[in-house]
Amino acid sequence: MQLADLPSRRSEPWKWSDLRAAMAGQETTLIGTGPIGGDGPIAAFAELMGDAYGPCALVVEAPGETFESRMTEGDAGQYGSVVVRAGATAVMIERIDVSGSSLRPMLPSFSRIEVEPGATLHRMVLQVNDVAAGVADAAIVLNEVVVVLGAGSTFRQFVLGEGAKLARIEVSVDAGESAQIELNGVYLAGSKRHIDFTSRLVHGAAGVKTQQLVRGVARKGGRGVFQGKFLVERAGQKADADMQHNALLLEEGAEIFAKPELEIYADDVACAHGNTSGQLDEEAIFYLRQRGIPHAEAQAMITRAFLIEALPEWMDETLRGEIETRIDRWLGTPA
Amino acid sequence: MLELTNLHARVVPEDGPAREIIKGLSLAVPAGEVHAIMGPNGSGKSTLSYVLTGKHGYEVTGGTAIFDGADLLGLAPELRAAKGLFLSFQYPMEIAGVPVMTFVRAAMNSQRKTRGEAEVSAPEFLKLSKIAAAKLRIDPEMLKRPLNVGFSGGEKKRLEIYQMLMLEPRFMILDETDSGLDIDALKVVAEGVNALRGPGRGMLVITHYQRLLDYIKPDRVHILSAGRIVKSGGPDLALELEKSGYDQFLKGG
Repeated sequence: MQLADLPSRRSEPWKWSDLRAAMAGQETTLIGTGPIGGDGPIAAFAELMGDAYGPCALVVEAPGETFESRMTEGDAGQYGSVVVRAGATAVMIERIDVSGSSLRPMLPSFSRIEVEPGATLHRMVLQVNDVAAGVADAAIVLNEVVVVLGAGSTFRQFVLGEGAKLARIEVSVDAGESAQIELNGVYLAGSKRHIDFTSRLVHGAAGVKTQQLVRGVARKGGRGVFQGKFLVERAGQKADADMQHNALLLEEGAEIFAKPELEIYADDVACAHGNTSGQLDEEAIFYLRQRGIPHAEAQAMITRAFLIEALPEWMDETLRGEIETRIDRWLGTPA
Repeated sequence: MLELTNLHARVVPEDGPAREIIKGLSLAVPAGEVHAIMGPNGSGKSTLSYVLTGKHGYEVTGGTAIFDGADLLGLAPELRAAKGLFLSFQYPMEIAGVPVMTFVRAAMNSQRKTRGEAEVSAPEFLKLSKIAAAKLRIDPEMLKRPLNVGFSGGEKKRLEIYQMLMLEPRFMILDETDSGLDIDALKVVAEGVNALRGPGRGMLVITHYQRLLDYIKPDRVHILSAGRIVKSGGPDLALELEKSGYDQFLKGG
C-alpha cells in the first residue's frame, strides 16, 4: 500500500480526518496493496488488512459470555469476525490504549460482527490515551466494524474516545427486522488530539428502533468529528430512530465538525435528529460559583454531567466507574 | 455589615453598548437587620443583586461595597459566597445531570475548604438535609433529581431556600423570591427565611410587591428608582407604596 492509496481530506467521508496527511512520513508501517476506495473504505480496508494479519473467528453460542480484547502500541493490528448465535447474549469489550511508546504508529482493527436473530450483543470500545495533555503523539487508530443484525436482535454500543494523532472509530450497521440498536459515545478531544466517531446505519427492514446519543468535548488544539448517517430504505417502514450529537467547545481554538444525516425513503417512520456545538453556559457557571464552587470546578461539574448523560444504563457498574474516572481525570477534577 | 457608598455600576452585554444602571446608590444594612428594596421594573433591583455577587457582565464604575469591614467588589463570586453572601435567584438555573444533594454538598464543602474548615461528613450532611427538607415541606425524592430540571417555578424557589438553610449564609439577598409562589408556598418559604434571621445575619429582600413583606417583616424599606435609593423608611413605607403606588416617589428621581 502506498501513502497515496489512503483516503485524504479530498474524499468526502474523510474530509475532517485526513488519514493520508496523518500517515505522511510513516510509510514504513503501511502494508497491503492497492488503493482504498473513498466511499466504502471499511470493507476495502478489511480486505487489505485481513490477509496481512490473518483472520480470527469467534463464535458465541452460550448466553452471557464476555470477551475482551486489548490493543496497545506495538500491536500489529486485528482483524476478526464475531458471530453471536441466535438467542445468545454477549458482551464485547475492545480496549485500544495508545499511551505507550510509538513503535508502530498505526493501530488498525477491522471486524465483522454478526448478531443472529433474537441474539444480543453489547459492545464497548474504550480508546484511551494517557500521553500528557498537549504532547503530540504519533498513534493512529482505525477501528472499523461492520455489524449485521438479524431479525429481533439487539445491538448496543458505547464508545469512549480520547483520540490520538488521528483516531477514527467507525461502525456500519445493517439492521434486520425489528432490531433494536443503541449507538452511544463520549469523546474527549484534548489538545493535539483528533477523535472521529463515524457511523452509518441502514434500516433495511421494518420496525427497527435506533437511538444514538453522542456527547463530546474539545479543548484548544483538539478536534472532534461526528459523522452519523441513518439511511431508511423503502422497506424500513415503522423505523423509530433518534440521533443526537451535542458537543462543547471548552476553549477558544477547539474544533468540532459534525455531519448528521438522515436519508429516508420509507413513508411511515419517526426519525429525529439534533446536533449542537456550543460553549459552556456562563449563567449556569455563575450559579454554581455563587454557591461557593470555584470557577474551574464549576466548569468541570457541568461538563461532567453533560458527558455522563451519554453513558448507557446497561453498562456494567465497574466499567461505568472506570469511564467516569477517565472523564474526571481528563477534566482535571480530583476523583 | 453591608455598606454601599455611592455605588455606580453598568451592564456590559456581549453584543451592544454598556448601560449604566446603578447610579450612586448608598445603603447600609447593619447585622441583625432585614432591609427591603422595592422599586418598579427596570429600577436596577436585579442588577444590584448581581453586582453584589460578582456576576460577569456587570461592571462597577464607582463607589464602594464593604462587607464585614472588607472590600467586596474585588473578590471572585465563589469567595464572596464563602464569606457568607447568598443570592436566592429570581430565575434559578437548571443544572442537568447534577442531583440537588450532590450539588449542595459540593457547594458546602467548597465553602468550608475556602474558609479552612473541615468537610461535612456524609451522615451529618444527610441529617441537615432532612431537617431543611422537612422545614420547607420538600419531598426528599426531589433532592435526588437534577437541580431544578423540570421543577415548577414554586419548586425552584423552595429549592433556593433549601440551599440557603443548608449553606447557612451570613448575608442573604432574596431576588423576587415571592414570584411563582402561591400563598401557602409563600408562607412555608417565609418561615424558612425567618428561621435564618438572627443577630449575626443580614438580609436584603428585593421585591416588586408588598405581599412578601407581610411574612418577612423588614426593619427598613428602601425605594429604588433609576439606580438610586429615592426614599427610605420603616415597614409602613411598604404599605404606603401598596396603597398609592410608586409614582409619588419617582418624581424627579
